[in-house]
Amino acid sequence: MSQQEQPAAGAVFRPDRLGEHLVAETTRAAMLVQQEALYGVRDYFRGRGFTELLPPMIGPVTDPGARGAKALDVDFYGHPYKLMTSAIFYKQASLKGFPKLFYIAPNIRVEPPETATTGRHLVEFHQIDVEIAGASREDAMDTAAGLLTHVVRHVLDTVPDVLAGLGRDRLAFAELLAGKFDSCTHTEAVDRLRAGGHPQSPDAEIDWAGERILSLEADRPFFITDYPKGSRGFYDSEDPDRPGVLRNFDLIAPGGYGELVSGSEREADYATIVTRMRESGENPAKYDWYLRLMREGLPSSAGFGMGLQRLVRFLTGLDALWQVSAYPKLPGTVSP
Amino acid sequence: MTRASAPGFPEAQVRQRAREGVAAVFAPLETYGDQLFGAGADQPPAPDGIADDLDRAVVAPPVFMPRRLEKLIDLGREPLHDDVDLATVIGGFSSPLPVYVSAFGSTRAAGADTGIAVSRQAGRLGIPMVIGENLVPVTGYRRSEKDRSPILERLRAYAGECPPGLGGVVVQQSTEDADSEVWNLVYSDPSVAGLLDSGRLGFELKTGQGAKPGLGGMTVVDPAEAARLDTRFAVRELPGTGGWLRCATPGTFTEEILRQQVRFMRNNFPRARVWVKFHPGRDVAAAAVTAWRAGSDAVTVDGAQGGTGWAPRAFLGRAGLTLGECLRRIGAPEGCLLASGRIWEGGRAVRALAMGATAVGLGRAALLAVDEDPEHGLIRLVEALALEARMLISAVGKYHSRLLDREDLWWPAPTAQPHPVDDPTVPTLERTP
Repeated sequence: MSQQEQPAAGAVFRPDRLGEHLVAETTRAAMLVQQEALYGVRDYFRGRGFTELLPPMIGPVTDPGARGAKALDVDFYGHPYKLMTSAIFYKQASLKGFPKLFYIAPNIRVEPPETATTGRHLVEFHQIDVEIAGASREDAMDTAAGLLTHVVRHVLDTVPDVLAGLGRDRLAFAELLAGKFDSCTHTEAVDRLRAGGHPQSPDAEIDWAGERILSLEADRPFFITDYPKGSRGFYDSEDPDRPGVLRNFDLIAPGGYGELVSGSEREADYATIVTRMRESGENPAKYDWYLRLMREGLPSSAGFGMGLQRLVRFLTGLDALWQVSAYPKLPGTVSP
Repeated sequence: MTRASAPGFPEAQVRQRAREGVAAVFAPLETYGDQLFGAGADQPPAPDGIADDLDRAVVAPPVFMPRRLEKLIDLGREPLHDDVDLATVIGGFSSPLPVYVSAFGSTRAAGADTGIAVSRQAGRLGIPMVIGENLVPVTGYRRSEKDRSPILERLRAYAGECPPGLGGVVVQQSTEDADSEVWNLVYSDPSVAGLLDSGRLGFELKTGQGAKPGLGGMTVVDPAEAARLDTRFAVRELPGTGGWLRCATPGTFTEEILRQQVRFMRNNFPRARVWVKFHPGRDVAAAAVTAWRAGSDAVTVDGAQGGTGWAPRAFLGRAGLTLGECLRRIGAPEGCLLASGRIWEGGRAVRALAMGATAVGLGRAALLAVDEDPEHGLIRLVEALALEARMLISAVGKYHSRLLDREDLWWPAPTAQPHPVDDPTVPTLERTP
């Protein structure tokens, strides 16, 4: 997709007009695409020895995440519990019984209002959450690429008329379906952005504007690997040969749609996890149940989460993420 | 007025300034012409063990003043003390004075009304203010309209008074606060958007306490409060007193943990300033350099002095470096250095600035000042400090606080030698009484 065709921020969602949103043609089309995308996801994993589990919704802790999003508290018989921002800890724990597993997981992240205009953030969203025991980062990247390709092909095959009705050109997926995925490191991505005049910090996540620039420049999906420590969760393992570099990745869609997937090889060593928790400002005491499992021994693993709504937006080519959610909750906007 | 007290602190002087403002900088007018003044008689000696060598230093004006000549040329007239420019940037925030308000904890002495009064006056002055740790785990964040969260009340009180383009609020988070995700709560709170949008919100990583270096925060609570806080803090009974001690953990830091925590703050809260506060640790120079190089906008060193919480007697004046020794070990700072600990008047403030600090923090002094006068106490105290600072700085022939230098100080007694910044392992020097 060229710069001229880039998705704009889109029309503004009016929370007081949820009824209109629910009967809109685009909403109906997006839900049909979502339904087929979910079918494609399950179809892909069933043929490859995965088990689908249903994720927990609350827990004593949740993924502390990053970038200023906060978890919501619930009172659980007098104990402060969290709604899941992601079920990463449960995925890892489940490996004991299910060495290859996936969830279609609902997540809640109260994003800072500054993400309201990215077109890529919702407070309530779903992730296709995958974890594979004994896998390397490269295995997880292959699985993510395979999953995306399979789902795109399935959706193109089953609802071509819906995509056509949305004006989504099949050609937008030509490179992807040809199996061409690029890859660069975080350092390379930072260098490219800085060379183009974007002030990207080398120690931090690629910021929202930077991610959009890189996504717009691409004509096929690409991986960004090797994020610096301090930009990601404590569960992403650090490269033993390159201190400060994490064995993780993002998968970025072309055309300005941005990040679809975040994943990594997981840290499985107890002492390292405790130290990494401190490095991310966390109090290890609150992760008691997880650390006990870790002490007993959890399988090494790699995995990822693919944002379902981001995937559907990429498939439909719609302007903003709220258009592919039936009940959108935008950052900073109080909605029903 | 609640009659808060602070034994060992020059409370009477602070209260006098809170009442009288700049008038208190001078001796009573009626003594003019009759009494001769000299050091010692007019200034009560600091109690043993609390004085630090920063208080022994003497501001030493030169005779020849090339900087004064520069100012004379600039102005086209002889400069005066009120030509001294004190405006500066403190940890990323514009401030009319090299002064900010340090954090008070969650203790009673820094209770709701006092905290609000301090916030309002700091806002009116346009100087940055730090909001203390443990407020959220102790008192909660968003409560009913009637019973509002102190942290939000202080933020609103400050923002309501602060002139545009000046000041900023810095919210601390310690280990227990991290459980309550204080920074996330504040960062996404709509009522804080004004400060965030104008670049006037910061977060301070607190790694230690000035009054009890190496320990976490401590407050005394009653049995009911102890039971309520039991899930969030370690709570220990104080035998024979009926009271309970609520202990916060100091948190565990290594060089790598500190570096990564600062990076995490920058990554997660890109629109907030990042401050780091250290207790007066013997490796404070290495710690400060680590924080600056990881990208923190300010490093605060809290000299072993006092605080609002509870501290074991064995610690008071007997654990931790003095503020002067901290500043000496840090040497020429790589970034914005903030100093707090027993600052209340212009003399100690100027000495700290000459030792490399960009600004000084008012802690107990600010509390006492608003306790004396909730409407104007802090403002008068700061005005008095600023006047003294201007007079002292002009006396050394300089006209901006950032031009102060170690050459402007003289230590009359033998004192510790400066340590190079890259040698964090030097032992603590014995303090002279």
